Amino acid sequence: MEEDEFFGEKAFQHYCAEFIKHSQQIGDGWEWRTSKDCSDGYMCKTHFQIKNATMESGSRTSAHIQTCLPMEETIELPLDDSEVTQTTAATEVIRYEYHVLYSPSYQVPVLYFRASFLDGRPVALKDIWEGVHECYKTRLLQAPWDTVTQQEHPILGQPFFVLHPCKTSEFMAPALKHSQKINRDVNYITSWLSVVGPVVGLSLPLSYASAGSRDE
Amino acid sequence: MTDDKDVLRDVWFGRIPTCFTLYQDEITEREAEPYYLLLPRVSYLTLVTDKVKKHFQKVMRQEDISEMWFEYEGTPLKWHYPIGLLFDLLASSSALPWNITVHFKSFPEKDLLHCPSKDAVEAHFMSCVKEADALKHKSQVINEMQKKDHKQLWMGLQNDRFDQFWAINRKLMEYPAEENGFRYIPFKIYQTETEKWRGEKIERKGDTCSTAPLLVKLETGQTVD
Repeated sequence: MEEDEFFGEKAFQHYCAEFIKHSQQIGDGWEWRTSKDCSDGYMCKTHFQIKNATMESGSRTSAHIQTCLPMEETIELPLDDSEVTQTTAATEVIRYEYHVLYSPSYQVPVLYFRASFLDGRPVALKDIWEGVHECYKTRLLQAPWDTVTQQEHPILGQPFFVLHPCKTSEFMAPALKHSQKINRDVNYITSWLSVVGPVVGLSLPLSYASAGSRDE
Repeated sequence: MTDDKDVLRDVWFGRIPTCFTLYQDEITEREAEPYYLLLPRVSYLTLVTDKVKKHFQKVMRQEDISEMWFEYEGTPLKWHYPIGLLFDLLASSSALPWNITVHFKSFPEKDLLHCPSKDAVEAHFMSCVKEADALKHKSQVINEMQKKDHKQLWMGLQNDRFDQFWAINRKLMEYPAEENGFRYIPFKIYQTETEKWRGEKIERKGDTCSTAPLLVKLETGQTVD
């Protein structure tokens, strides 16, 4: 069966290795982790987001989520009160963890993620959804349980949110067919993550797209 | 499978006599009596414990109540594991009834999934069924079913209706006559080691698996044997 070889675990590990190579070149923070008692491994990344809740004098609140602060830099918050005479700003830092695992049942990669405040308090799913880009929101809100659910991480055994993998091979198929047609080597992980990542606040710098084609 | 109807019925109607006791540090307005219940082995804790919640909330104030969770001898009980599995893993060598402690405070975020509603149990259950069918039939049978069939499968489990459940589940347990069986047999192995986390692995037909101390829970289709 040709599909069995299509995206097996070895292919998964190969594409992740290539992906991580490029991540290291641009300092994007992805790394590979293995579990102690078996050869299973996964890719993971941690990053921090600042959530600004701004209180207008008419007591309306709006939340803006800024993306991607590198972990190593100190987080500096604006303290210039002269600019914000009529508003007070409360900022919260949220720690996001993204894990990419392989599903042997569906033979596709799966995105696990969780978020917490710096003191360890977990961020609730509805608050995570609030950080999702507008264009994905309708889809999520209509059938949230079909798309994002809380599940046990297969290796760590802890609660994570998961983007359900049952539709992955469906939406990946056209992209892969096309790349085969034009005879271009495509990193499955890069393509897949560029589709599912933004739905949960994870973005990929564009340089990933050109990283693979240099090998041609 | 239809020849084994008696076995299927015995599995479906398996029950565990359980005694629910309120955790001693919960704040009550008067003493809470323990609550006894026969739990279905094939179901899930958060699906069958509404009466437990009502019973204990009668002696508590609204402000002292948040999400209910269960614990056995210090171990938080994962509601997303079938009840029979939890019992076999943790309490099978102890005398009956199974003594479970009920909590309404300090939800253990690192150990337990939240269960905000019955929809979460349904989503988890259907997710397991779909994953099993991915291995058995490349998801063809489950995807060809209508939404109402999925609903019937779930309602059969939720309402303890054997015939309603198996009317749908038998399709998931069939394979074409010309093939000798399922593409792959899905099962999950739960290990009773003393480590903090329990591993799950879905092995395929033909793979070797370790024979370390194991409790094998066969989940072909949905029955937990």
